Amino acid sequence: MAEPYTKPAAVEAPRDVANKADKGRLLRAIRMALEIESPAVRRNTQEFNRGRYVATAAIPDYDALKDRARAIKDKSIAQLPDLIQTLKKSVRARGGHVFVASTAEDACRYILDVCHWRAAKLVVKGKTITSEEIHLNSVLEKDGIEVAESDLAEFILQVANEQPSHFVGPALHYSRERITALFKRKFKTDLPLDTGEALTRFAREKLRDKFLYADVGITGANLIAADTGTIMLVESEGNIRMSSFLPPVHIAISGVEKIIPTREEMAPFVEILPPSATGQALAVYTSFISPPLTDPVFLLPGKPSKEREFHLVLVDNGRMKMREDPVLKEALDCIRCGACLNSCANFQTVGGHAFGGEAYSGGIGGSWEAGTGKLENARFSEMCTGCSRCVNQCPVRIDIPWLNENLADRMNRIEERAPIHHVAARFIGAAENDRSSSVAKLFFGNYHYFAKWGARIASLAYRFGGEKLARVASLCDSTGRAKPMRLALEQWVGLDRRRTLPIFPKNTLTHAVKRTAPGLVKPKAPKAVLFADVFTNYGMAHRGVAAANLLRALGADLVVSDCFPEGRAALSQGMIATAKNHARRATAELDRYIGEGRDIVVVEPSSLAMFRRDMKHLLDSKDRFERFRSRAFDPIEYVIKILEKTGRKPVDVFDASHSSVGKKLYLHTHCQQKTIGADAPTEKLLREIGFDVVTSKVECCGMAGSFGYTTDYYDLSMAVGADLINHIIQQERTGGQRTLVASGTSCTEQLHAGFERQVMHPVELLYSILKR
Amino acid sequence: MPDLAATFEQNAIDAAATVWRIERSPLAVRSAIERAAEGLKGIVMSEAEFLAPQILAGARGLAGIILKPDDEQLTTAGVGVTEAFAGIASTGSVCVSLGRPLVGATSLLMPLNIVLLASERIVERPRDLFHPECLKGEALKRNLIVITGPSATADMGPLVRGVHGPHRLLILLLE
Repeated sequence: MAEPYTKPAAVEAPRDVANKADKGRLLRAIRMALEIESPAVRRNTQEFNRGRYVATAAIPDYDALKDRARAIKDKSIAQLPDLIQTLKKSVRARGGHVFVASTAEDACRYILDVCHWRAAKLVVKGKTITSEEIHLNSVLEKDGIEVAESDLAEFILQVANEQPSHFVGPALHYSRERITALFKRKFKTDLPLDTGEALTRFAREKLRDKFLYADVGITGANLIAADTGTIMLVESEGNIRMSSFLPPVHIAISGVEKIIPTREEMAPFVEILPPSATGQALAVYTSFISPPLTDPVFLLPGKPSKEREFHLVLVDNGRMKMREDPVLKEALDCIRCGACLNSCANFQTVGGHAFGGEAYSGGIGGSWEAGTGKLENARFSEMCTGCSRCVNQCPVRIDIPWLNENLADRMNRIEERAPIHHVAARFIGAAENDRSSSVAKLFFGNYHYFAKWGARIASLAYRFGGEKLARVASLCDSTGRAKPMRLALEQWVGLDRRRTLPIFPKNTLTHAVKRTAPGLVKPKAPKAVLFADVFTNYGMAHRGVAAANLLRALGADLVVSDCFPEGRAALSQGMIATAKNHARRATAELDRYIGEGRDIVVVEPSSLAMFRRDMKHLLDSKDRFERFRSRAFDPIEYVIKILEKTGRKPVDVFDASHSSVGKKLYLHTHCQQKTIGADAPTEKLLREIGFDVVTSKVECCGMAGSFGYTTDYYDLSMAVGADLINHIIQQERTGGQRTLVASGTSCTEQLHAGFERQVMHPVELLYSILKR
Repeated sequence: MPDLAATFEQNAIDAAATVWRIERSPLAVRSAIERAAEGLKGIVMSEAEFLAPQILAGARGLAGIILKPDDEQLTTAGVGVTEAFAGIASTGSVCVSLGRPLVGATSLLMPLNIVLLASERIVERPRDLFHPECLKGEALKRNLIVITGPSATADMGPLVRGVHGPHRLLILLLE
């Protein structure tokens, strides 16, 4: 039985844990976020998330727009040196100035010089994440220049002395109540400030004169067109318009990656950015301006008359190096909408002060912190579990899990290891490149090796001592007899002892299936091989057996493969060379089945996602990947395929009234299953047969493969899982108990930790109601 | 062919703007501005570029109008009247073109922004503004601000309308 979840303690200021180059800070930041920031982050990101689903669904050609936007970004990054030259000419032809800053220091120095030339005492700033990256405020303030952050979220952070926690909502970790308390404390006011309106009015009044009397206005840029020097600025409050319109000097700071060739090519971004960011069709203000503006400078009494001036500061600071990096280059396509942050279950739970660095946060943030700083600064990217929920949400289709797997891969090689470590790593099958990975990573990444031996020992234990001894052998004993071993495992590989481990089965899938009858093959029924993935074979063999029995009963010509890793476990640990070896071996083994005209059926969704998505990075060619992608199926997808091929309706084959677990189901589909679109058929089929299905709305259950098993992330995993658990409790409180149904091995473990009752795989349920 | 004006109107209302459909006449414009500005101090109007000048002429005689405001008056006036370069049906947005005197100020500084939009200048989607043949390609040459509802923020907890920019947006849709 899992030990009860207790909230962690320990609180630190976000600035103190902004740089996460060491793991200790990362873990302290997680504790701080869970303790203080989690409720507001959860509420705000989930609201953005719901809004995005609605707003993007309303765009008729959303996918085509995404493709177009991605193509424009890729082209722009390829042409970047030329575009910078074209942009310089365009801006200068209009009377503006352009400075390309190689480093953060160069950018700050130039801006400081401009402020000196114009005798600036007061700078008003719109929201710009690039200025956070270059630490501009501290440079200006050290020189005696007052900096007024005018975006209300940035205003809050300036008052609180914190770094942003999100691209779009930098202070979304603040609840209204916390803002009230902050303002009362810092401004020593007795005003009630107990509504959003009152707080907004208070901040507006503080800022109004700053806009009117500022000497310099600083903004960022969402995009810049090289042909006309047009900058696109997206906002809702009007502060960016004020900052670019009212002061005589406008400085726009932008990373060089924001340049695109032409103004015409801004079109797709205008329609995909706001829906992806805030769930709005358009933000309140979208400016397309080619500064310097021609409007006369605003002149108030006592304010000296000045000419309008525009400076565009293009920041490199590592971006041109990222451009040469075959992997990190993709991060330059980011348009900073924050969709990847909002769709990430871990981010929803802790926000960017934990899942983020000094300027950039979330899944995409690691690549940016590494690209503009040091690799170690991206340590927080290991909070990306590879669940892939962000992949379809990114409006420019960045494969964020792949970026983070590569960062993990590079970080695995930072630390020096003793020769014995390398020998052991080689012994268990880690590729040469991955042998300096930590013991924990080697364990989880080569889980198949340990599972194989664990299953063999457990099998002997079953034979000589029955299930009780097998439990001991599986280290999942609840009587405490296995505790010393669990403590040792926690110490050595970071496997949290509060997690219940699944007992190894008496027979693995490959052994058990040899005892089942091949079944009667129906005419026209398809031929398939059931891939004995590691997780099903050693952990949930009964699910594999049910899948084999079901598909054969429906008439499929089905064989079962041997068990070998397909690369998921290694990839999740950033052991890319090992993952490649595993993927190549698995596909080589499966080649002959495809040669026989067989499809591949995969029970474990994360393994299926390897064939359908991740192997594109691991196999030698696109054709090779396509050969397996197009033939790999979820068991329920395959049930539907068989029924269609043999001309039968689901209700003719299944009878829900015979269900021994009732008709009321709670279906939780796996995160990677959702990404590859293999979730919907299950839900549809179960409803069609007559089940009353409630589905989970969470992005991920929080377990995410090995992630939730680790001591480092157990608390976070449990906190993420609370949304799922609470939803089920809520549903059952009003509508009575439901049978829990989940396809994923780790989802099943998380649900079991929450409810300690049976969790069925859809194939088990369907096999039990098959009309015979 | 979709009814762009109707789509525009619905989406603008959804974006928290107010839309009044009025006749394209000096009298109708004058009375609409007079009604909207009731109780507010100081009305500032930008110059017309796309509408016939006489359409706005009637409103220039309204009580409270500031014909040649200095910058201090711009910061204290209650109403800014701006002419729209275009409207966008799918989002209910109005698009103003900077450059002419007072367009920037009237669309930004006053608590109430009244925008006059000629119905034939409504395009279907935001992307249309980037098409060289749309509105004679003018959208690609101008400094444009696309405005979708009054300024707003969710940074202080719940959504609040009225931040640094106008608190209310009234669109006079001229038929």
